[in-house]
Amino acid sequence: MREITYAEAIREALREEMRRDERVFIIGEDVGVYGGSFGVTLGLIEEFGPQRVIDTPISELGIAGAITGAALIGMRPVGEIMFMDFCTLAMEQLVNQAAKIRFMFGGKATVPFVLRTPAGSGTGAAAQHSQSLENWFVHVPGLKVVMPSTPYDAKGLLLSAIRDDNPVIFVEHKLLYKVKGPVPEDPYTVPLGTAEVKRQGGDITIVATSIMVRRSLEAAERLAHEGIEAEVVDPRTLKPLDEATIIRSVCRTGRVLIVHEACRTGGFGGELAAVIAGSEAFDYLDAPIVRLAGRDIPIPYNRTLEYHSVPQVDDIIAAARRLVHGAA
Amino acid sequence: MATPFLMPKVEMTQESATIVQWRKNEGDIVEKGEPVLVVETDKVTFDIEAPASGILAGVRATPGQQVKVTELIAYILEPGESLPTEAGPQQAASATPVAQRLAAAHGLDLSTVSGTGPGGRITRADVEAVLQRVQGEPTRSAVRATPAARRLARERGVDLAAVPGTGPRGRVQAVDVPVSTSTRAESVEKVIPLAGMRRTIAERMTQSYQSTPHIALTTRVDMSRFEEARARLNAWAQVQGGAHVSVTAMLLMVVARTLKRHPWLNSSLREDGIHLLSEINIGVAVALPEGLIVPVVQQADRKSLAQIAAEVRDLTSRAREGRLLPADVAGGTFTVSNLGPFGVEEFTAIINPRQTAILAVGATRKGITVTADDQMVVRPLMAMTLCVDHRVVDGAVAARFLADLAEAVHDPALLLW
Amino acid sequence: MEWSHDKLIDMLRTMWLIRAFEEKAEELYALGKVHGTMHLSIGQEASAVGAVSALRADDFVLSTHRGHGHCIAKGADLNRMMAEFMGKETGYCRGRGGSMHIADTAGGNLGANGVVGGGLPLAVGVGLGLKMQKRSQIVLCFFGDGAANNGAFHEALNMAAIWKLPVVFLCENNQYAISLSVKKAIAIEHIADRAAAYGMPGITADGNDVLAVHEAVSQAASRAREGAGPSLIESVTYRWRGHSKSDANRYRTRDEIEAWKARCPIQRFTARLIADGTLTEEDADKLRQEAYAVVEAAVAFAESSPEPRLETIEEGVYA
Repeated sequence: MREITYAEAIREALREEMRRDERVFIIGEDVGVYGGSFGVTLGLIEEFGPQRVIDTPISELGIAGAITGAALIGMRPVGEIMFMDFCTLAMEQLVNQAAKIRFMFGGKATVPFVLRTPAGSGTGAAAQHSQSLENWFVHVPGLKVVMPSTPYDAKGLLLSAIRDDNPVIFVEHKLLYKVKGPVPEDPYTVPLGTAEVKRQGGDITIVATSIMVRRSLEAAERLAHEGIEAEVVDPRTLKPLDEATIIRSVCRTGRVLIVHEACRTGGFGGELAAVIAGSEAFDYLDAPIVRLAGRDIPIPYNRTLEYHSVPQVDDIIAAARRLVHGAA
Repeated sequence: MATPFLMPKVEMTQESATIVQWRKNEGDIVEKGEPVLVVETDKVTFDIEAPASGILAGVRATPGQQVKVTELIAYILEPGESLPTEAGPQQAASATPVAQRLAAAHGLDLSTVSGTGPGGRITRADVEAVLQRVQGEPTRSAVRATPAARRLARERGVDLAAVPGTGPRGRVQAVDVPVSTSTRAESVEKVIPLAGMRRTIAERMTQSYQSTPHIALTTRVDMSRFEEARARLNAWAQVQGGAHVSVTAMLLMVVARTLKRHPWLNSSLREDGIHLLSEINIGVAVALPEGLIVPVVQQADRKSLAQIAAEVRDLTSRAREGRLLPADVAGGTFTVSNLGPFGVEEFTAIINPRQTAILAVGATRKGITVTADDQMVVRPLMAMTLCVDHRVVDGAVAARFLADLAEAVHDPALLLW
Repeated sequence: MEWSHDKLIDMLRTMWLIRAFEEKAEELYALGKVHGTMHLSIGQEASAVGAVSALRADDFVLSTHRGHGHCIAKGADLNRMMAEFMGKETGYCRGRGGSMHIADTAGGNLGANGVVGGGLPLAVGVGLGLKMQKRSQIVLCFFGDGAANNGAFHEALNMAAIWKLPVVFLCENNQYAISLSVKKAIAIEHIADRAAAYGMPGITADGNDVLAVHEAVSQAASRAREGAGPSLIESVTYRWRGHSKSDANRYRTRDEIEAWKARCPIQRFTARLIADGTLTEEDADKLRQEAYAVVEAAVAFAESSPEPRLETIEEGVYA
């Protein structure tokens, strides 16, 4: 199968869906001629024009409000917030308005938008351009939260997200944009709320999100050389969460390592751990549930400090090894 | 007015009792003094009588449950009366949060703790006191084990406390739970909880065996004259209408008389030293389906054989019927265990706590013995093994007692002296 | 306005320092010696120097992501700036902040900011604090044309105005919010016109004329210091380089860039100082060379400085 990058896969999904459904439009800062801060929307303004690929002033709250309002009256907007850190500026409309409208109005309204935003560190962009704030949104009823880890999932999940009748926060990762992978040319969807076992193994379950899936898979290959077979489960959608797939895996392996980039305290790992411990998988746990996550610090600028702020492949290997060999 | 029905204390040292069975159900009319439930202490089973007449209600202690003495187990209501508001059935004992946490951390059932706080509230100190008492005993949650190991142990019927853990800090992991026992476990029909009498025996025997250095001395006695005498006595008893004289009863008689001359064997090692006891109260080990019980013939040295025989018969039959009273099993100073009726030739026994010696009596069998004039003769022989606490009694002291005893058993007529 | 000879020379020197620092930064970036991102203000030196030179040394500055110039104009040590840029322990922020977050709090620079418009509400707080403490200092808040369209702008200007806070809002209108032309981003001609809506003076100055900016800010600073409240100054200038490290300039033309380069603020100022006899061409050249030498020394300092130790990674999150 043809291989394209994660950024190209997202662009392809946007293009296909804009061709298919004229209600879909793109709105954000520098999404037009500039092509988006990470080049994801490059070339789309040429095909769809400035009416459907709308550059905005630096007005994040305005963007959030614009997609919410437009969605409310039947459009299917795809907003872009340049860095996930800037979602802070859009929170009011996202949390108080978009997430609440359907319920608050007694189910009489829908807000079918997608808000795309890149998260993650590793680019040297320091404390205000490197955060992973996905769990803020997971905590808000009414929002769906998607975090693709591969080009294939990115395209399939984005199509599902655009067609979904709810506000969907679509969290991309900056370091994944240039990663290539097989992606079918035709449109296809990956349903929201379905996890995927990215690699099978019987010794330990690694539940990882976003770029940590990639790092976990690399770790798993190296662990296999030392006789540890890791199963890597990618929830893909944090909300709604496919608990069954995760629980099934843990029942098989009895050991869980949760890996995410966001800070550990209050991170999604805590939620996953609680889901697992509260399920039938509890009786199969043969070691404490271990979370490997970003340190509880702002992302530092210095390259070495930045690297060690979040889990890397070696960290995952070491944690998995400790778990399997009973040192945890 | 509702009469609180409290678990009565029937023995000096009793702390709790286990509910065996309610003879009456909630809503039944009971008369004051009428047996309402059966409870079991670590020693005996006994009936508990209704403290008042009325309607049994608010039962909060279920069979199998261990209840502290003086703890509320039910109410007796007058017709038309309702339960006191705080007296809902199965109401959990109120406990402070820290007490609850502490209890939970040690797997302690709070219903087994009596509270000393305001309104009977269980405080941290109450829990700590209980924990101190059971310190050293592995409780379920004191075992460090993973959930998977616990599940496997459950499925395989393995006691996790006995499984060495290979995980961090000795944590038992799934791999540590032995698989081999799973086949054995599958043939187990049912699991008998270690409770009541069984638990008491387990605790006491472990305590005694672990803390007492036992030594055992065996001798064999020609029982010809003993059996002759016993036959004559039984014939006499028949005439007199007295109780049949068993080997045990007659041995008790001999032991009691011999003990009078060997006070070290009738002693008790206490915290402050060795107490040579003034009373000779001899326990008789009685085997029951549920376990061993040792009713006591009090002051056996002062009783006639007829009295002893009658008492032994009474005690054994009541033991088998589960009708022993707490006083029947209290105060023993020496124990005789006779496994002769089971065909055992000789054995050693574990000394009952706070006693110094136990006599293990085997079956009387025909065997060859050598007479004083070097003749090999066939005689009824019986082995007696005396097990003593070496902290209290040295081998020679025990040997002298055993020799005197053997002589008297060999020729009971000497007792007339 | 009267200008002292030394002051004028100092302003030119500072503009050259900024230019030299940023050219070096660009070079180091290209050589892979720094990572992350950076935002160069080459072509905007008059704005930074003109504005900050109108302040007292103990006044405060709130800067932006494009803040090297503001920082240098405020008197920062180039060694420590360069060390921060290279992520070294000796840097202003111990290598934790980087280009986008350089702060010299002791020198009155309350920090560059990674969030567009992030400094505007902070200026309200600083102004409020100064007023409550009855201090004579003021705060100069830099922001860009992009930030002027963020909600924070409205809230900050209004609050500063109603409370008559000692704030000078200085909008560096460099024509583009990344790729979005200011012509497409606002529906009025001058951002400074918005001042009327908040009841404060609004001045549009030639941001490539260091003396014009100086004069405008001087007036606003006096007003602020006297307790008459804030002002909004729009300094119209141009960003020669791309928005950040990667920028293909798809949104503007080469001709446009060249036209603005022809209005280089340093060249204009130098020509003027030579014309009025303040300095000779040799003096000017010497100033330029000195600036590049200072920057080279800063690079040497930074390169020989230690990296932060990994075990200190969790330090400094809480006081």
